[in-house]
Amino acid sequence: MPDTAVPRSAELEPVLLKALTWAFTVFIVAYIMVPILVTLIMSFNDAAQIRFPIKTWSLLWYRDFFGSSQFTGALANSLEIAIGTTLFSATSGILAAWAFERYVFPFKNFFYLIIMLPLFMPGVVLGLGVAIAFGGIEIFGFQLYGSRLLVMVAHSLWAMPLVFMLMEATFRTIDHRIVEASYDLGARPLRTFIEIVVPAVSTGIVSSALFAFVISLNEFVMALFLTDRDTQTLPVLMWLSLRSAGTPRLAVAAVILACAVFLCLTVIMLWYIRQLKKTSR
Amino acid sequence: MTAAALADDIYAAAARRARRTEKLMPFALMSPALVIAIVFFGIPMLLMLRMSFNEHVPQRLYVPGFTFSHYAQLLSEERFVTAIWTTVKLSLLASCATVVIGYGFAMLVWLKPARWRLAFIGLALTPLLISEISIIFGWWMFFPKNGLLSYVLMSVGLISDKISLMYTEFAAFVGLVYITLPFCFFILLSIFDAIDKRLIEASGDLGARPFTTFYEILLPLTRTGILVAFAQSFIWAMGTYATPSALGPDTLWTIGYLIQEQMLGKSNWPLASAFSMILVVLVAVVIIFVRSLNTERTRFHA
Repeated sequence: MPDTAVPRSAELEPVLLKALTWAFTVFIVAYIMVPILVTLIMSFNDAAQIRFPIKTWSLLWYRDFFGSSQFTGALANSLEIAIGTTLFSATSGILAAWAFERYVFPFKNFFYLIIMLPLFMPGVVLGLGVAIAFGGIEIFGFQLYGSRLLVMVAHSLWAMPLVFMLMEATFRTIDHRIVEASYDLGARPLRTFIEIVVPAVSTGIVSSALFAFVISLNEFVMALFLTDRDTQTLPVLMWLSLRSAGTPRLAVAAVILACAVFLCLTVIMLWYIRQLKKTSR
Repeated sequence: MTAAALADDIYAAAARRARRTEKLMPFALMSPALVIAIVFFGIPMLLMLRMSFNEHVPQRLYVPGFTFSHYAQLLSEERFVTAIWTTVKLSLLASCATVVIGYGFAMLVWLKPARWRLAFIGLALTPLLISEISIIFGWWMFFPKNGLLSYVLMSVGLISDKISLMYTEFAAFVGLVYITLPFCFFILLSIFDAIDKRLIEASGDLGARPFTTFYEILLPLTRTGILVAFAQSFIWAMGTYATPSALGPDTLWTIGYLIQEQMLGKSNWPLASAFSMILVVLVAVVIIFVRSLNTERTRFHA
């Protein structure tokens, strides 16, 4: 048997490496899943306290969540603000990305920096800045501070650069000869943009808009600075409730927020599959 | 003037007009984005800088004036100096751990067969898609005495009495790493994807052990990526204040927590602004550091 002449350490090393790989995989999966699963499990708890093990299961706290006008109101605020943020940031981000892709203009790097910079700022700083700048401003009797509108724009400070970044990358994938052909055939820039460019990048538009929606839905530091009792979002209400007392109702709120996000993801996936089918046909 | 010359003139004028609109077009397209960035970010930042020099008197948010006293207060009063120091220390510690875990994770995904890839990327995306507050709440149910951790350890028989890790610096650390991990992972994965996998095979064929291959080949190739990922995690960790303040001990004051306290609790806008400016400067230093790394890398490749 010549094979047994292999030294022990050479055999040991791959086994050790494999064991290490497995241990690390288990660790990383557990680490990422723990807070999520704990919340999911706790939302079906029947008891009033947060305590493991859970003895009886029920949908009690889901009923409680939808019965509380404070929480459903916060959810409605969250959705409204997220929709507004999506509209603002998608429109401005897509147009700016098209300008960067299609045109040559002076100080391009400088403008790029201006648009991208807010994305790197901590939420605490952005929230404070907007609160200081627009704290006491009233337009035609409309109190800007504490309004949903101001939160939408504040959230756009993160969402707009993200849309811009994603769309700039997407626009680069367009075949420029098609755009030139459209111009040569006499179509104006606006018509070319709507009829040629937009359909070609629809997947990018849908995904960047939904990411903007998700960012706004989840954000709570800026919203904490900029909302009052009537306009507070669900994450803000969760944060304030957690500071006083945690109940399984918060777990339900977390699950509902996550469900809204994963609904968005499903939409992106379905859209992507639809586009794939269209092009392969 | 002949009819042909007149037609030429009209065409020339139309072309000039078209060129002019062509020149203004990019600015028109950028204007909504620039309005958001300048009116709601640029101007507020300048106002905040101005605000940080205003004077503060009790019962009023601020009184216009010009004083360096808030900066002096931040850099001399022990409570604030400790907060700045704690923030930097905790962020450094968390970013180190994030880079180590993220590096291992990215390498794992890179080395594993492609069919695992999508599942792992989905796993890494999940924390990004869930609100920070939900994650805080998840850990909030995991660490305390009646939490899952204590229950699991008891049932396995590792401990005999309930334990609580809640409101410790360890809990704050675990929560902070969780928040920064996905960003770090995706940066490092993109670096790994640019490496030719055959390098590893070649190294193995030449008789190098896995550890030698890692140390001599992978580490040098990913060094810039590690630094970028580290800086990114550091920026993110410094700006995140909710997680450490909710999971850590009451005495764990970070810059973000104190900004919020001065702004909402004490209504001391000038001091909150001065504190924010310090945070902005810290973030800017790190960003400039990363930019210089990137230009160095491109110079190296060219």
